[in-house]
Amino acid sequence: MFKYMKTAGMSCLEKTNGGIIYLLPDVLIKICTLIPLIFLWRVVMTSGARAGMNMSQMLTYTYVSSLLSDMMVIETAASGWLSEGVLMKLYGRPMSVLGQLAAQTAGSWLPMLLLFSLPMALLAPAMGVSLKPASPWFLLSLLLCISLGFAIDFLFACLSIKLRNMSWLISRIRTAIVSLFSGTIIPIGLLPLGIDRIMKYQPFACLGGSPLSVYVGSADPGSVILLQLIWNMLLWPVTLLVFKKSQEGIVSYGG
Amino acid sequence: MAVKNKVLRILKLFGISARMDLTWLLRDTKYAIAGITADIISNLSTVSGIYLIALRFNGIGGLNTDEILFMMAYSTITTGLFIMFGSGNNIHISRIIGRGQLEHLFMQPLSLKVQLFTSGFTPFTGGSNFVVGCIMLIIAMQRLSLPVTVWWVIFLIAYILATMTIIVARAYLVSSAAFYAPVAAEEISSAAIEGTWLLSTFPLSGMPSIIQVSLLTILPEGLMAWFPSLCLLGRAPLNFTEYYPLAFALILSLIASYVFRKGLNYYVKKGSNRYVPYGFRR
Repeated sequence: MFKYMKTAGMSCLEKTNGGIIYLLPDVLIKICTLIPLIFLWRVVMTSGARAGMNMSQMLTYTYVSSLLSDMMVIETAASGWLSEGVLMKLYGRPMSVLGQLAAQTAGSWLPMLLLFSLPMALLAPAMGVSLKPASPWFLLSLLLCISLGFAIDFLFACLSIKLRNMSWLISRIRTAIVSLFSGTIIPIGLLPLGIDRIMKYQPFACLGGSPLSVYVGSADPGSVILLQLIWNMLLWPVTLLVFKKSQEGIVSYGG
Repeated sequence: MAVKNKVLRILKLFGISARMDLTWLLRDTKYAIAGITADIISNLSTVSGIYLIALRFNGIGGLNTDEILFMMAYSTITTGLFIMFGSGNNIHISRIIGRGQLEHLFMQPLSLKVQLFTSGFTPFTGGSNFVVGCIMLIIAMQRLSLPVTVWWVIFLIAYILATMTIIVARAYLVSSAAFYAPVAAEEISSAAIEGTWLLSTFPLSGMPSIIQVSLLTILPEGLMAWFPSLCLLGRAPLNFTEYYPLAFALILSLIASYVFRKGLNYYVKKGSNRYVPYGFRR
């Protein structure tokens, strides 16, 4: 476990190698997106339409989604590293490749958690947002969301291996689909035309949208966690099998 | 005569870029179509989020669903133009500067401006969002029964040009940091362009004035779709003049031009340290 912790630590330090000042544009953009987004939902929710959530829940949902955005939809470096040739290096170390990717990803979250999430969490009351979770089951739901996120990300990495030099395109399509269907930007329950009823059972809905709905108390934790468990149990064996088979097909040129 | 020759030369260079783009489409059709699909899905995902909220709540902040569709169409057109004219990292200029590739342009028998203006033109593989945006715009205009006059069309083109100018000017302004810190600022244009893309689709109507004004001045995301769309719908917000986007684009481009030139002067004296003697990038 120590070696994975060390990998995570190195990944965290790598983010700040150029100095914290170079992380500030990303922090500023996150703040500048979050504040108007909070006001956008205020405007929308004051229209009086029924949304299955009250304004306080909606603001908390949006705020927490932004604070924990890296964990809501997992994006490892696997696909990028495939085209950059870095992925091959992982095979030269006495550690599991997927484990290294997971540790590296988790470590990379820390600078943004410290520079953005922590200060913004402290400022939440000033923005009129309550960060009190409605259920302690949020933590379990978040862990299942992270676990499923890794499984889905590794499957996309396998797709990149299969399709060779299309990793950038796959990444774009995946980001677009996941951002809409995971419920991290718009809660699944708010999708119109009955789309919500179909969408809530697909695996992407078990990512960010699930722990967030448990956090604000807009969904029954039991059914949400059960669905997350089912998708984890279905996708992890598939991921491990597909990744094992895909490894033979890895072609890296280096960047 | 000199101006005419220059214009002809630029058109020819656009033609060369277009021919190379077509060649790519014909020779590697599978990959090119995948790229076109990725562009369309990526943009539709961004704009559909706001549109779906508008559908669910019958509008946002005083804008009805069709007006939101009009705004999303405007945003899609700008995205389309951005991809169509900026596919060679010529708008993501910090990548070229940060990677030490500006020298490659110095070797060409063309001015830097002309090369950067024409090198990213991809009408065949990069024009899909522009077409989708135009279709969305026509649908929205029909649903809104907008009275289209020659002046309205001129204003539409002027606003789109102003929006594009703001995107390019801001990218060049922040990318000037890459002249001084090539490694750390290599991707700074992505933060300025992609990082704020979602924000640029927000309808700001109904938000507090301080947010609206901030997003029209400090961080001009309101000028990417919301403000020009409202002007085209005949309701310039906040009592601002409808010429505001044009004035903002002019001022920002002058500032960006000054800062970029300063950075370029520094760069030509100091050079880039990105390449090791045997060719690899640090």
